[in-house]
Amino acid sequence: MAVASGSEVPAQSPPEGPASTGRALGGGALKLIRSFLTLREGSIIVVAIVTTAYFSTNATNFATLSNFKTLLPYFAPLAILGAGEVFVMINGEIDLSIGAVYLLSPFVFYKLNQAGIPLVPAVILSLIVSSLVGVINGFFVAVIGISSFVTTLGMLFTLDGLTLIISHTAPVATPGTSALHVNSFAQVFGGGTYSELIWALVIVVGLQLVLTATRWGVYTVAVGGNRLGSAEAGIRVRLVLIRNFVLCATCAGLVGILEAVRAVTATPDPSGSNDILFQGIASAVIGGTLLRGGSGTVVGALIGALFLGVLHDGLIIKGVSANYLDLYLGLAILIAMSVNVYVQRVRTGSGLG
Amino acid sequence: MAESGEKIVPPTSAPDDVLRVEHITKSFGPTTALRDVNLHLRKGEVLGLLGDNGSGKSTLMKIICGFQKQDSGQMFLHGEPFEPKSVDDARAQGIDTVYQDLALVDELSVYHNMFLRRERVRVPIPLLNNALMRRETRKALDDIGINIPRLDVPVARLSGGQRQAIAVARTVSGEANILLLDEPLAAMGAKEGGMILELIQRLKEKGEVSVMMILHNYAHVFATCDRVNLLQDGVIALDKPTSETSVEELNEIVVEEYRRARQAAIAEDAAARAAASSSSQ
Ligand SMILES: Nc1ncnc2c1ncn2[C@@H]1O[C@H](COP(=O)(O)OP(=O)(O)OP(=O)(O)O)[C@@H](O)[C@H]1O
Ligand SMILES: [Mg+2]
Repeated sequence: MAVASGSEVPAQSPPEGPASTGRALGGGALKLIRSFLTLREGSIIVVAIVTTAYFSTNATNFATLSNFKTLLPYFAPLAILGAGEVFVMINGEIDLSIGAVYLLSPFVFYKLNQAGIPLVPAVILSLIVSSLVGVINGFFVAVIGISSFVTTLGMLFTLDGLTLIISHTAPVATPGTSALHVNSFAQVFGGGTYSELIWALVIVVGLQLVLTATRWGVYTVAVGGNRLGSAEAGIRVRLVLIRNFVLCATCAGLVGILEAVRAVTATPDPSGSNDILFQGIASAVIGGTLLRGGSGTVVGALIGALFLGVLHDGLIIKGVSANYLDLYLGLAILIAMSVNVYVQRVRTGSGLG
Repeated sequence: MAESGEKIVPPTSAPDDVLRVEHITKSFGPTTALRDVNLHLRKGEVLGLLGDNGSGKSTLMKIICGFQKQDSGQMFLHGEPFEPKSVDDARAQGIDTVYQDLALVDELSVYHNMFLRRERVRVPIPLLNNALMRRETRKALDDIGINIPRLDVPVARLSGGQRQAIAVARTVSGEANILLLDEPLAAMGAKEGGMILELIQRLKEKGEVSVMMILHNYAHVFATCDRVNLLQDGVIALDKPTSETSVEELNEIVVEEYRRARQAAIAEDAAARAAASSSSQ
């Protein structure tokens, strides 16, 4: 939102360092770097590039197509989850139930298909069920007035429990898929090599457009930035909140199905889905979306997911023992976020953006 | 409710009343903000609404503009019963408001704030028409004479006066013919405040727009308003054309009220002390 246009920034002397450095870079390059850093996603892009460059030079077989393919299923689902979460977070709320919706939706899909509903309609109905979870979240938050943290935490446990009940804690074979052969349904809904990537790119681009170029986006920022003022201006705050919870839950439901199709089975594993939840939120936060609301980007969530994916994959290629993986991942997130914040401070401190 | 001694009669309705408010009451839990408010707004006039802090002026405006609902009482717009269901509804009927808190979103650009809830979109795909909004914002600000160099910066970066100018320009440049302005000059410098008053003067000369304005500065009241209403104790305690009253009279009423309250407090205090001393003997 409100990304400053490329209009001329009044020339300023560089804050420090020899002036010759600035001159050596050349006016054009300097301007390019400056306008790049005015992007809210600018700093995380830098961090992601540096990380990628590090692994490309230090880990053999990192910068290869086959490794890119192993990376995809790790980051594409997170990008979609993060994209939906960004809308809720810009509203100044949080949705902790995305992992649980992700867990539930393939089982809803399975049950509907078992009941005789064809594949694609069953997918659509499962997405509608997911969106109803969003309606319920939104209702409790916007109408009843319970905090979204509490509401969606309750929803998380409710749906986890529901999934365990309807699945009898047993994995099922995802309808329409087979381990031997990827049919056209599976090709589209997560089974094809680039299927999830395409879904992620389409959703991220589409939602970024919604955020920056439609009324929905303006109202989302407005409700997150000044809820009372938004209501005074006539914005229907409750509707905006509910709509964004619906969007977020629907994204989670879709990811659940894509992943179940890709894996050929759906497994009722709440601890795995909790991991997904936290990584989805981490993608949004790393991408520059503020927890306190009023500001965020969908493209940022994609890059945040990419960063997590690169880090995870790079560490594995480097042969880091599984026991150390989470430790390194956590530290790397902290370091990356510190760099991110620092770059942002430099950017705003020098009057850019 | 009003005690029997001071029954308040609604002002006699004139045919050119655009807005009439009758027996409006509003409480917030134990706090009674409006006890029995009766007021009317004529076509083309500027009505100044005065009153102490906490006397219920903003509450009254929020009821008229559809943001809050009165507990009881009726309103009439152009003689017809008026029950706004929402801010949108009141706006569609020609009422727009500058709120005391300005209702701006810090994170949004100047022109997105200018068009908040009235965004200009393209057809057939309803994408925001930012170029058009930027242009119209520039024009509206130029009309008032307020200079804001860059329209694409978030309003968080603007000064208090600039923010207020945007809130006023947003309301005045719309299609409304009844404007409710809640302390529109509170953060303005002398020059910018003068510009806003001049703008209101110009609107008045056209005669199409009626304005109800909350002000604390009597100089502004006498410079701009045709009539003043004083809100006190939840009722309109004074309703006079500006030409028939004076700063002294308005001051006198406010101070008188203060004096009465003080004397009541002293008397109560004395009574309590007397009771205490008599019981201790
Ligand atoms: N939303 C609310 N909840 C509870 N009490 C409220 C609310 N809004 C107003 N009040 C109370 O109603 C009374 C009138 O408030 P209001 O804001 O209308 O006063 P005002 O005349 O506009 O004052 P000021 O000159 O300070 O702006 C105050 O006692 C205030 O505390
Ligand atoms: Mg007020």
